[in-house]
Amino acid sequence: MTLQSDVIQFGGASGGVTKAYQPGVPPALDDVSLSIAAGETVAVMGPSGSGKSTLLNLTAGLDRPTSGEVTVAGQRIDRLGEAALAKFRARHVGIIFQFFNLLEDLTVLDNVLLPAQLAGAPRRKARNRAIELLGDMGIYSRRDDYPARMSGGQRQRVAIARALVNTPELLLADEPTGALDTATGAEIRDLLADLHAQGQTIVLVTHDPGLAGTLADRTVRLVDGKITPDGGLTDLRSSSAPAPTQAGKR
Amino acid sequence: MSAAGAVRTASGGMLRHKVSALVICAVLLISTASATLGFALLSATSAPFDTAFAAQRGADVTLTVNGLKATGARLAATGHAAGVTASAGPFPEAQVPSSQIDGQPFGPIPLLGRASAGGPVDDLVLNAGHWLTGPGQVVLSGTPQGGGPQPVRLGSVITAGSQTLTVVGFANSVTGQEFGWVTPAEVTRLRPAGVPAESEMLYRFTRAANYAQVNADVAAVSRDLPKGAVSSSTSWLTARQNSNGDGAIMEPFVVAFAVIGLAMAVLIVANVVSGAVAAQYRRIGVLKSLGMTPGQVVTVYLGRIGLPALIGVAAGTVLGDVLSVPLLADSAGVYGVGSQSAPFWALIVAPLGMLALTMLAAFLPALRAGRLSATQAIAAGHAPRTGRGYLVHRVTSRLRLPRPVGIGLAQPFARPGRTLVTLFAIAFGACAVIFAVGLTAGLGRAEQAQTHAAEAPVTIQQNLGQSGGGPAVEGHPVKIAGPGRGPKPPTAAQIAALSSALNARPGTARYVADYFGLVRVQGLSGQATAQVFGSDASWLDLGLMSGRFPSGPGQVDVSNAFLTQSGLKIGDTATVTVPTSGVTGQGPDLRFATSRTDTVTIVGEIFAPSSSPRLLGGPESLPGFTVPANLDQYYVGLKPGTSAAAYIRSLNARFGPSGEWLAMPEQGGQFYLIADALVGLLALMVAVAAGLGVLNTVLMTTRDKVHDLGIFKALGMRPGQTIVMVVCSVIPPAVIAGAIAAPAAAALTTATIKAMAGTAHTGVPASFTDVFSPADLALLALAALAIAAAGALLPASWAARSRPATALRAE
Repeated sequence: MTLQSDVIQFGGASGGVTKAYQPGVPPALDDVSLSIAAGETVAVMGPSGSGKSTLLNLTAGLDRPTSGEVTVAGQRIDRLGEAALAKFRARHVGIIFQFFNLLEDLTVLDNVLLPAQLAGAPRRKARNRAIELLGDMGIYSRRDDYPARMSGGQRQRVAIARALVNTPELLLADEPTGALDTATGAEIRDLLADLHAQGQTIVLVTHDPGLAGTLADRTVRLVDGKITPDGGLTDLRSSSAPAPTQAGKR
Repeated sequence: MSAAGAVRTASGGMLRHKVSALVICAVLLISTASATLGFALLSATSAPFDTAFAAQRGADVTLTVNGLKATGARLAATGHAAGVTASAGPFPEAQVPSSQIDGQPFGPIPLLGRASAGGPVDDLVLNAGHWLTGPGQVVLSGTPQGGGPQPVRLGSVITAGSQTLTVVGFANSVTGQEFGWVTPAEVTRLRPAGVPAESEMLYRFTRAANYAQVNADVAAVSRDLPKGAVSSSTSWLTARQNSNGDGAIMEPFVVAFAVIGLAMAVLIVANVVSGAVAAQYRRIGVLKSLGMTPGQVVTVYLGRIGLPALIGVAAGTVLGDVLSVPLLADSAGVYGVGSQSAPFWALIVAPLGMLALTMLAAFLPALRAGRLSATQAIAAGHAPRTGRGYLVHRVTSRLRLPRPVGIGLAQPFARPGRTLVTLFAIAFGACAVIFAVGLTAGLGRAEQAQTHAAEAPVTIQQNLGQSGGGPAVEGHPVKIAGPGRGPKPPTAAQIAALSSALNARPGTARYVADYFGLVRVQGLSGQATAQVFGSDASWLDLGLMSGRFPSGPGQVDVSNAFLTQSGLKIGDTATVTVPTSGVTGQGPDLRFATSRTDTVTIVGEIFAPSSSPRLLGGPESLPGFTVPANLDQYYVGLKPGTSAAAYIRSLNARFGPSGEWLAMPEQGGQFYLIADALVGLLALMVAVAAGLGVLNTVLMTTRDKVHDLGIFKALGMRPGQTIVMVVCSVIPPAVIAGAIAAPAAAALTTATIKAMAGTAHTGVPASFTDVFSPADLALLALAALAIAAAGALLPASWAARSRPATALRAE
């Protein structure tokens, strides 16, 4: 896999990215420009309604900007059609949700396999990868269970395995510990830290300064849809981001 | 919360669920239209002649009077005879000899002079165009005939010698047998020189319930006229007998469609409405937590369903009424009555019934929601109970199917109740479609057995314009002149010339002369019709039900009516009296001046939809019957690749416009055309309603699973994959529905065709009912899949277009 120097580029020569949901209402994101390098872990923080989730949705191609360019993994995704966006998500992006968003009627293994199946990955290869990831997450023995029977931490592990099954360049995590107790949250944090250590590019939306401080190379602060005047680039760790490796490969 | 507040809440909710309101409205529109149409057609099949006769004040008796023997004034005076309650006329009559319609030879046409369409007796119903406004115009009986090789439309020009008439309208008379109407002055102009003037006088009597009373009535008015002035008389009883023959045949399939349509409408409306209320449980829970009482919940949701339902049933009633107009005009033509219209009660019962059903369907879930606690209602409003369908998901994930297909196929098992309703809606729709195909095929075979259009696309008749009669006219209830009733039967030389002309045509494959006439049979109280072929006719499909085609001297096939009325069976012998001259009278009054008697052996039973006993034979069956006086027509089979139209043109050019013979295409009866149109329309309506039922179910399921849809999309599901997944979710119920519908429709087809045959006093050959091979049925069962896929496609495309972020935000 060839990694781009910048995995995410929000905004271009013509200005930043804006997303307005309704005319006459202040935009959720207002002229935001942002670059995230390969292998970097960036925490996006801010109060409720500040535009964190909107930024994540635009990065994942789940929504479209009102104006501005969004380039992810070398592709201008703001110009892509729905089918191309879906292919883009399947190949380049893994998403972890606060409330896991597992499909309750599928087993753990089927949940993890799903993105690979949708992307048309060879059956055996996809299954091997899913089993490998479940082993890495420590939930291989629960592969035939349904999510409803699992604890929050276990569910989030399933969600992480599912997000990684297509070996995406970019991992987006929306409050990954937000629905977990402290101990379980710490487990998930450690998992993400491992991924980061392996060179996985991660964008982390969180309210938790501790999580951001532990994981992120830098933090972007959003208030009212704008990156705060301090530039939004707060180095949290003195060390530079680790050299890019094959993201997600373990 | 006040009642007004509750209604406001309902309105707000409704405005936010436009699609749901639209679906309820559309389903009720189609269902109510189907119900209205069904009721109208059912009503039309119930005593159609009697209804039209009363509405149009049909003539109890029509007298045709020789104008040389009775003046118009004297004839008009008979309107005051004892027992006459109303009269109309005299109307001058003209038998226009040879004519052409739009340049095509058409034979003679009888026209009646009438100044107006209305009147105290035989009120005409205008089907198209307008009534006569001046000379040179004609209003024809029936409806415009756009198709076929000899179309007659508004604006067509009829040429009779040097006179031309433009067709300005089409009308129906309930008891009249005219070809058309012109102004009285026009009759004088059209009447050929030397032909005695005749007039018609129409009467209604205080007592005309049976033949005895009618005969007494005729005698009463005839007493006031000079002896020999009355040329002929016809009664309403004869018109009624003629009209009911085909009409009742319609009833079984109209009933079948009405039952299918109504049952499905009930099912779908109940599903749509209860689903719409159930989908609002969460909202109901929230409203209850804010203080809404159970009574207010019921009021709110009945109101919420009520408005779109009201719009739907109102529009559906109008649509059903509008659709019934052309159908009832057609069925009036089939029944041979003047006009039919949707009964008033149908316009009341259909919408009120549908509305009541809707309210009931909404009331039960609303009542349940009202009784639930707020938290229970909120919980009930969430996605289906966990655990359902999980096993199927597991199974489909193990199959080597594209994942969207597997997920789609497993979805119906999460909501078994809803799936069951969908399954039956699809089954009803598919059943209607397969039934329509079967019925059309069965009717096609019956038509084939009656008309022989496939084997003999060309018929040749005596050009009775030259000899006093005329060919059958499409859209006209009676044949203007029967076989052998013209004053001049063809001569042996003319028949030989025809044979020579046919033999000389390179396209002629074979032909056979068809002789037709009345005979008397010992053991039958009335007359029987005999059809005898002059040579081998085994190449024609004669609808043999049992036994075999006559192949030797004295052998005949007979109709079911013949066997029933005579008490004979195949293998028995019958004594037949064949006229050799002077046929007069009808029914019990049938008289032959001279005759011969033959004994025949019944060797088979043929399809003949008529209450009149019928006998069919070959060249050796009834010696003496195959004489020119009985010659009806020739059936001509063509060699492959020969154009029937070109053949007819060439043959008529050879005969010449004033020749003895007239070639014309063999056409299906109007009954079959109308029946096919009715079957098609009814099937289409049922299928559309079924599709709407599927659309609604898929819509509800998609809404239930909208969050999952967001997840799928976030994980990379493409729009095409989304469509596949949603469409596949209706495949399992559609497959089962198809498996149920196909044999059910086959059984329904058989039962209906047999019932139709029963009403037409005939049995049917097995080939009429065995219209489906197993392969046909398997193929037709795909109609279920087609209906399901068509219904699912719209919500599937909505699902495919939805933004993942929006879907993920949805609850």
